[in-house]
Amino acid sequence: MDNLFQKRIQSLTDRLTYIQDIFAGKQADSVALLQQKLDEFTDRINHNNIEKPYEEVVALEDLFKEVESRLDISITPLDKVRIVRHPQRISLRDILENVYDNFTEVGGADEYSLDPSFVMARAVINRRRGKKRYTQSVMVIGQEKGHGAEYRNGGSAKPWGNAKARQFMRVAETEGIPIHSYIFTPGSYPIEDYPGAAQQIARNIYCMAGLKVPVITVISEGGSGGAEAIGLADRRLMLSNGYYSVISPEGAAAIEGRCKGGERPPQELVERCAFNLKITAEDNLRFGYIDKIIKEPPLGARPYHFDFFRQLRQEVVRATDEVVISAKLAPFKSMRTARRNKPDVNLDEMYLSWALSGSEKRRLCKMRGDKFLALSKNAAVDNRPFLAKAMHRVDDLVTTPWMQFKYEFYRKHQRKIHSLLEQLDNEWDVFKGWIGKPFGKGGVKSKEDKSSELMSLSTWTDEHKHNKWNYLSPRYKIDQAVTCPNASVYGCPDLWGPDLFAEFAGVCSNCGHHFPMEPEWYVRNVFDKDSVLEFNSEIESGNPLEYPGFDKAVKAAQEKTGCKSGCMTFEARIDGTKLVVAMLMGTFRGGSFGAAEGYKFFVSAQRAAKNRYPFLAYVHGTAGIRIQEGTHGVIQMPRCTIAVRRYIENGGLYMVCYDTNSFAGPVASFLGCSPYQFAIRSSNIGFAGPGVIKSTTGVDVAPKYHRCYKGLARGHIQAIWDRREMRNNLIQALQTIGGRNLYYR
Amino acid sequence: METATSLKDHRVLVGNRGEIAIRIMQACRKLGTAFTAIFTPEDQESAHVSFARKYGGDHGLYKVASYHDANELMAVADVAGCTAVHPGYGFFAEDFRFARRVTKRDRKMIFIGPSWKIIRELGDKINTKRLARSLGVPTVPGSDRPIYDEMEAENIAEDVFDFQLQQGVAHPLVLVKASAGGGGMGIEEVDDIDQFRSVYRRIRNYAARQFKDEGVLIEQRITDFNHLEVQVVSDRSGKNPVHFGTRNCSIQSTGRQKRLEVAPGFDPSVIDYSFDSKKVLQDIVQYSLTMAREVGYDNVGTWEWIVTRKGEPFLMEVNTRIQVENGVSASIARIKGRDQVDLLEEQIRTGLGEPLGYSQEDISFDGVALEYRLIAESPENNFTPWVGTIDRLRWKEHPWLSVHTQVPKSAYIIPTEFDPNLALAIVWAPNLEELKKRGLEFLDELVLYGHNNAGDSMQNNIAFLKEKTSSILKF
Repeated sequence: MDNLFQKRIQSLTDRLTYIQDIFAGKQADSVALLQQKLDEFTDRINHNNIEKPYEEVVALEDLFKEVESRLDISITPLDKVRIVRHPQRISLRDILENVYDNFTEVGGADEYSLDPSFVMARAVINRRRGKKRYTQSVMVIGQEKGHGAEYRNGGSAKPWGNAKARQFMRVAETEGIPIHSYIFTPGSYPIEDYPGAAQQIARNIYCMAGLKVPVITVISEGGSGGAEAIGLADRRLMLSNGYYSVISPEGAAAIEGRCKGGERPPQELVERCAFNLKITAEDNLRFGYIDKIIKEPPLGARPYHFDFFRQLRQEVVRATDEVVISAKLAPFKSMRTARRNKPDVNLDEMYLSWALSGSEKRRLCKMRGDKFLALSKNAAVDNRPFLAKAMHRVDDLVTTPWMQFKYEFYRKHQRKIHSLLEQLDNEWDVFKGWIGKPFGKGGVKSKEDKSSELMSLSTWTDEHKHNKWNYLSPRYKIDQAVTCPNASVYGCPDLWGPDLFAEFAGVCSNCGHHFPMEPEWYVRNVFDKDSVLEFNSEIESGNPLEYPGFDKAVKAAQEKTGCKSGCMTFEARIDGTKLVVAMLMGTFRGGSFGAAEGYKFFVSAQRAAKNRYPFLAYVHGTAGIRIQEGTHGVIQMPRCTIAVRRYIENGGLYMVCYDTNSFAGPVASFLGCSPYQFAIRSSNIGFAGPGVIKSTTGVDVAPKYHRCYKGLARGHIQAIWDRREMRNNLIQALQTIGGRNLYYR
Repeated sequence: METATSLKDHRVLVGNRGEIAIRIMQACRKLGTAFTAIFTPEDQESAHVSFARKYGGDHGLYKVASYHDANELMAVADVAGCTAVHPGYGFFAEDFRFARRVTKRDRKMIFIGPSWKIIRELGDKINTKRLARSLGVPTVPGSDRPIYDEMEAENIAEDVFDFQLQQGVAHPLVLVKASAGGGGMGIEEVDDIDQFRSVYRRIRNYAARQFKDEGVLIEQRITDFNHLEVQVVSDRSGKNPVHFGTRNCSIQSTGRQKRLEVAPGFDPSVIDYSFDSKKVLQDIVQYSLTMAREVGYDNVGTWEWIVTRKGEPFLMEVNTRIQVENGVSASIARIKGRDQVDLLEEQIRTGLGEPLGYSQEDISFDGVALEYRLIAESPENNFTPWVGTIDRLRWKEHPWLSVHTQVPKSAYIIPTEFDPNLALAIVWAPNLEELKKRGLEFLDELVLYGHNNAGDSMQNNIAFLKEKTSSILKF
């Protein structure tokens, strides 16, 4: 028996193991059948009592194929999770070798890389038109799981891996070549070493929101933040056995089952969560978060599925072509697209230049943004009455051009007129002085008796400083002593609750530790009295995935807090300056962020842009993306980042202020991308909480790992504010920092 | 406020230590009010502990970890069933938050001292100054609100300089201090207006850094003055405050700690002053009572004044508590002709809700009195405190002498955690001449010696007090 034959048997053994692995005990009879046939065959071959070995092995392979096709129909979401994580699953290196014609890894290869779980490559695709050959370059980036190699870290990229990805995305932008990103990640590695997991992902998303080259994404395993770090694309393709989710099913099950400290959730709960989270390609296509599904071979693509690679090549080339065509202002666009979508078409024979002109690049960016902004609109419950909605729309139609006229035209010329008048005024004053001189007007003031002035009461408007706070935490009514968490370190005496929660504003008078305060405290004490005007309060958190039992949980949270969602948006004044505020409230389901919150956030950014107001995101607390909303939540990351980027690029001032605990998705996107981020003292900022870090990486977390001063040290935030000084600091910030296009400038 | 009508239904928590704790307990005994004392491990030899053990009965004495821990005091009060808290002086005496907590907690008690709002109002120097000015009470020339603007600050400083020159001050001085500061932090004086800007900026920056408030106060710096006090007593109605005369506390250590107090504040019958001292005393008493009436002052308190050599009084601050030197005023005061006045008794009695029972006409004054503060320290060496063991403290009893001390008859290790007062000796005499004689007699008879670990003998301020006795009440 020759070696090649041995190889085929080995390959069949592998396929059998694969089937066993991905079904994890299910489909036992099929597995037994294949096992028995394979054993029989090897047994006979070993005893050399086989007549036509080649025919038989082909028959056996056909049997495998048939069984695989049969089993493919019964695949569950959790099986898909096992498929994408299997060592035999195709990896990015396989794709580079089989989809592209040539490639060079940049930024290190294999172990000799800054982050081996990230692969960056300049790759080429050869295409023809007629007889002429063209070589097209693309930048391929993506997570590399390898085939079980430990140093690849399962495709879980470190912050510096994401930083490297961003670096090469910028390179691609400079070179004007498209980016193909391949998502093979269970999630980013949740460590806060420089530049910090959350901070880096936020930078990546912000960068991708403005990339001026076509970006195509292919999702195999799309785990939340790690996926979004390279996933904001013009076209999002997804492999049919892939998953794209807010959290791994195990993670969701651990939260659902309230598992603590490394405890494993039961298998059927994991299965149920995988189903409830709606993580499959079909689900995401239905929601609109991906554009197309690429059909995989039965039971998932493996490195020997060369047909699949050919198909994948056609798909990514087609997607790139489509994006390029759509960005051009050329006739017959739909015809050209349709021609490329015909079956049996070979795109390798239909060369299209991927170069874009300046205006096309801008259009491309705008289209990408518009596409994301339009997503997930129906995932929130919009309870605004019809009339209000209509009014809002009319108002938008009228005020937008008016604002544009006011600020773009009137304000510009107003300045000129003002300066002219000022000059005239100056001249007039000089003239007046010259005229008045001979009459001896003005001059030395007579010195009065100073004593009365120095010893009598002066006027002072700021006198009543005792009633410093407009709002006191209701906890001040409870007669109790509160122990400062730093008491053992700094020897803080116990504080009396009524003092602490009223006069002290929740700050330990000895060490300055900040106890958490209610969101209302900030609303009432930071902004000018009676200036807060809430809008869109009727937009409610819903249950877009119809997650079992979640309706009730949302109702309970709404009743507890009296709010309809975890994000309160309002207009307010601070020292007379109007601004728009979006407040994420830690009190509403842990401050988790879903479609309703995203919608409100995005609308408030738009409102701020329209009125030229500064925009403040005050994060009272956020636990991350709301897992029960699945990808409806995840999509808010790129979506709100785009909204924010547009606002900033329009010359606005976007500031973020973190308080209590701010973690995961929001920090790793639309919050973390702000150029001006501040934190209230004693707050925690990070990508994943200590419990999640322990359960995903197995590493114990150092105490105070997420404290805001660590964020300050690695450059994530710009300053740490005392709660009692927040108002003054905001006033100061509004006066000194900010965009070119604010109404009060 | 409190349903208990009789003083006998009350139990007072004595939230203090040392001689003041003893005096509070003595006053309670006289009134027939129960008391609960506290002590920390460092103080277990103190006489206030043995006193409480002897007379306190059940719930008379509790051991605590710290006199500074309000939670512990409240716990003791609850366990012992106290209905009122007397803070003494120091510790929580002028802490409006403590007073507020005592009166606002679930099991409400009486804070024996002014109401917390008054403590807060008068504890704020700017507020006190503005209140005084609104009533026409003289205060130190200068600003009465924080100044944030450099131009304005300079104008005021110039005015203060000019004013002093007009007044004939040879070397005018201007004080620049952080309005949010206190206790000597962030204060500088300027003797040249050209330096003002740099000093102002320094203080402003310091204040911004330290207190997060850039405001500064600009005042005249008065160097040549006497320190006078007016003792005020009022009941809970706050309507009819009376005064118990004046005191002169000008003899102080280099760190401005009082060492020798005399009542009354001046003695024009014997000493010649360059101004009408009688009028000054009348003025400051009337000013003090005006302010007390205005705020509805409802317990004992002291109005502190500085009197310049030209006889101008300026209000400095109001101490909303019983003071160390209360006994010296009490010993010259007569209520309806009776002597043996005890201001602590008055404080507790009125604090628990009894009306004052007499008016200013019923108060008369007889003789002069002084108070020596005996302290283990070395006056020639910048009043450095001395630490060690007191082997013997004895004095000869006289009818004109009363001594308050926590030092027991046995050997006593001076605790280093607290203020260094060992004993207060109050001497009364019908006139100043006699007073000086008796004072020196007491000091001569006094036996006070001890040793420290190095074997050195005790250092004390007796010689300093003797030297100063000759110059009391002189300006």
